[in-house]
Amino acid sequence: MSSSKISMLDLEHIAKLARINLFESEKITFLPQLESVLEYLDVLNQANVENIEPTFRVNDQKNVLRSDEIVDSFDQKTALSTAPKTQDGYFVVPGTIKK
Amino acid sequence: MDLKNLTISQIQELLFSKKVSVVDIVNFYLERIKKLDPQIKAFITITEKEALIQAKNLDDKIKKGDKVGKLAGAVMAVKDIFLTKNIQTTASSQVLKDYLPQYSSTIYQRLIDQDAIIIGKTNTDPFAFGGSTENSGFFTTKNPWNLSKVPGGSSGGSAAAVAADLCQFALGTDTGGSIRLPASLCNISGLKPTYGLNSRYGITAMASSFDCPGVFAKNVEDLALLTQFTAGVDPKDATTIDNPVPNYSELLDKVNLKGLKIGLPKEYFTDPINTEVKTKVLEATKFFESKGATLVDISLPSTKLGIAVYYILVPSEISANMARYDGIRFGRNTDNNPDITSYYMNTRGQYMEAEVKRRILIGTYALSSGYYDAYYTKASKVRTLIKNEFINALKKVDVILAPVSPTTAWDIGAKVNDPLQMYLVDAFTVCTNVAGVPSVALPCGFDNQNLPIGFQLIGNFFEESKILSIAHQYQQFTDYHLQTPNL
Repeated sequence: MSSSKISMLDLEHIAKLARINLFESEKITFLPQLESVLEYLDVLNQANVENIEPTFRVNDQKNVLRSDEIVDSFDQKTALSTAPKTQDGYFVVPGTIKK
Repeated sequence: MDLKNLTISQIQELLFSKKVSVVDIVNFYLERIKKLDPQIKAFITITEKEALIQAKNLDDKIKKGDKVGKLAGAVMAVKDIFLTKNIQTTASSQVLKDYLPQYSSTIYQRLIDQDAIIIGKTNTDPFAFGGSTENSGFFTTKNPWNLSKVPGGSSGGSAAAVAADLCQFALGTDTGGSIRLPASLCNISGLKPTYGLNSRYGITAMASSFDCPGVFAKNVEDLALLTQFTAGVDPKDATTIDNPVPNYSELLDKVNLKGLKIGLPKEYFTDPINTEVKTKVLEATKFFESKGATLVDISLPSTKLGIAVYYILVPSEISANMARYDGIRFGRNTDNNPDITSYYMNTRGQYMEAEVKRRILIGTYALSSGYYDAYYTKASKVRTLIKNEFINALKKVDVILAPVSPTTAWDIGAKVNDPLQMYLVDAFTVCTNVAGVPSVALPCGFDNQNLPIGFQLIGNFFEESKILSIAHQYQQFTDYHLQTPNL
């Protein structure tokens, strides 16, 4: 495919950006699937969008504000109840700086 | 007493005339689930204990003469992407297996507050990514009309549960057709409301500028009743609109079919539509004509770009929303990673289903450096075109009538290896989500294999009462929605 939209290197790069480890078998399956989806998206080249503003939200709301008041929230035990790992009332997060 | 195929008002009549108790009603559905769900596989979790406790409390209230909610006696199934406090919520993904939320989604809670009873959590494509339930991290739901066919998706478990009479109504979400498509393939009614009518709070986010939670029911009358309670502003979802909620039930007879202008968009009656679907949907238009409505040929020329716009913008929003799944505050994680990047990559790589990964990858690609303008910006501009075409068409006609699915239910497995073919099943549903306008789907016949066919009525922003009224009047004169599968 000379005009391919996405190479194996691109796929690996995108997967890294998205923080997803792909199994080797997935890479082989996904590459042609993504290629065909991306080719299909070329249909948008037919559209004339000169002087058209983009739409990012469909209703006309502006900022929605509320008063800055303290309301009930979870206690510490509840907030931590779904975490796979906790310690001393904290979420356990993998180290971000190497020793 | 036989409680088969009853609507909410019918079951409430039996309840309030003391012919049945709430426990009887719940047991009726639990028995059906035990008998039929091993084949249909609509449910991931059956909430037998919770349902019976709720039912008993409600019976006690009724016995004491206490005031009960407007949905007393109504039994619901809930798509498993709605958070339900202390009830497992998996989003049909291995990522959230065993997850017990600490809070509930707003619209589920609003229904519970009206004394609706939850009977279980239903299967979907993972995080609602799909059109058939085949992407589910657990199993595929079967179409109650033919167990070798898909129920449609992503809310396929909810649709199958209502169609098989395993509950009275169900909650679903429609980001690109995920309520209307399965409703149509399973012969039930479903409402995709205007974006911002129903709160998205407490529902796993797919594409935040598209997601529309809504209801499935056995008829339009029940959709109106339920939407009365789901709709309305929610401080916890800043995109909900602070409009007064109309009394949808009282407005069901309001629209006069005589003189009604119904637009038929030519782009929805052409390829890829199947001939039998087209014939049946056109028969529905003849019904309205016979009641004095005028059929008007219209054009929504950008319809052919809908899927492309959708599959750029939705995966883009998905890639941002799914970044939260890191297995730290909730969800499953992995051990023995040398550094934090490996931790993220392995955790997400281990548990996300293939379609979840594909959509994140497409979105990451579309948003990445060098491609952003060609994909995201371009698609956002075409979104404007699609929205304007609906607004302009709805100045000329009162309502738009179109098919929901180009075909009837297809064989399980037929499209699973070709994501693009699976994406194209939403050809006639995605544009309403791109634009944000409401649409109600309802049954209008069967093909030669006795598989259901449906049509949709699309209105302008916040015109739910209008489209529900037109749909309800259709059901007063037809009996397609009363047909049930042989199980």
